[in-house]
Amino acid sequence: MARSLLLPAISLLILLVQTIVVPFAAVGTIIPDLILIWVVFLGITRGPVTASSAGFFLGLLADVLAGDDGMLGLSSLTKTIAGFLAGYTFNENKTTQTLTTAQFPLIVAVVGLMHNLLYFIIFLQGTDISWEDAIVRHGLPATVYTALVTLLPMFVFARHYRT
Amino acid sequence: MLKRIYDTALLFKEYLLLALYLLLSIVLLAVNTTDQVRAIRGNVLGIAGMLQDAFGFVPDYFALRQENRVLREQNLTLSDEVNRLREAALENVRLRQLVGMRDRPAFGYISAQVVGTQVQALRNSVTINVGTDQGIKTGMPVVTDHGLVGRVVSTSSRYAIVQLLLHKDLRVSGRVQRSRVNGIVRWSGGDALHFSHIPKTLDVKTGDVVVTSEFSSLFPAGIRIGIVTATRQHAGELFQEIAVAPSVDFSRLEEVFVATVVPDSNRIALERRVKE
Repeated sequence: MARSLLLPAISLLILLVQTIVVPFAAVGTIIPDLILIWVVFLGITRGPVTASSAGFFLGLLADVLAGDDGMLGLSSLTKTIAGFLAGYTFNENKTTQTLTTAQFPLIVAVVGLMHNLLYFIIFLQGTDISWEDAIVRHGLPATVYTALVTLLPMFVFARHYRT
Repeated sequence: MLKRIYDTALLFKEYLLLALYLLLSIVLLAVNTTDQVRAIRGNVLGIAGMLQDAFGFVPDYFALRQENRVLREQNLTLSDEVNRLREAALENVRLRQLVGMRDRPAFGYISAQVVGTQVQALRNSVTINVGTDQGIKTGMPVVTDHGLVGRVVSTSSRYAIVQLLLHKDLRVSGRVQRSRVNGIVRWSGGDALHFSHIPKTLDVKTGDVVVTSEFSSLFPAGIRIGIVTATRQHAGELFQEIAVAPSVDFSRLEEVFVATVVPDSNRIALERRVKE
């Protein structure tokens, strides 16, 4: 019972940290996406079903918490797809190897780039801002920032599994 | 037969689940401007605001000393300016009476603290610790002593969300204070705002101050937006490219003021009717 509540509890904690604490770490308007890192982590360790489910519900809650009108459903859509893509890397025998090496931030970077690409293409519909420009100004820096932050859990896992 | 369908569904469960989630997201995207969804967001916003408020002391503590010094300096400058403006205001009243002009509608300000920020790609907003209980309404302009911050887009009883000037959906009618040239100020990413729809022949120079104009149905006229930092003219194009540095430092927003004025619905309705 307690074990089955662990994932939702961690998910909610990450959502709260993303909403309340992470904005303090903004570089200009660029922030790391902890939800994406968590969704990719679930994809690597548990496969596409858990990762896309977490992506959907966390994305939906993130949209609600954004408090801005107009785009409820966008993060749920993009994070569902991100979780599904990350789930492709699921391999029970190689989980430790993936999490403790540069593969982890690399997967986060690739999935993050696709996530941001999709996000901006939908988000900028009907505006005169080009999504290519948005990707260069926001999508790429945010992806790099998120991938760099992934180094932290990667080192933690590397240390944990070595001992 | 049923077992076969069940087995097939189980075999492709991840794809079926993906399709279901995508469908739900698309439906939400289609209906998300309804009042019901706004109401749910308002309630969630209240809870999130309380949590963000609890964490608000962190940046305040480190910034207090610096802020104190800046405020003392500002106080001195402003006292001097208030005296001069008082004289100018009295003169303005006399001149307005002389030519029979209508006074601009007066409005008050409600002070608020920024208790949270939402940084989401091209849509940046902040949460402030005043809401409908304090008389805050959707559409009210938000300013600091430096200039325009944005407008209230969502409220709960004790908190409100302010859509910042650094938001792709916010466009403001602006005017160059010196030459009275009008245009549209918008943000499309990057450090600067764009002052657009200004023909090449019109007089705009680096260093000019841009303020909100009477053409704006969202904001009162005369609120400082920013300073022109660059003007470029491209061959074959009708309009100039003008960059404006915002007057407000959005990375250090702490205290803001909500102007207790809501957009004139009569005016907006009339303009919309004519447009249609």
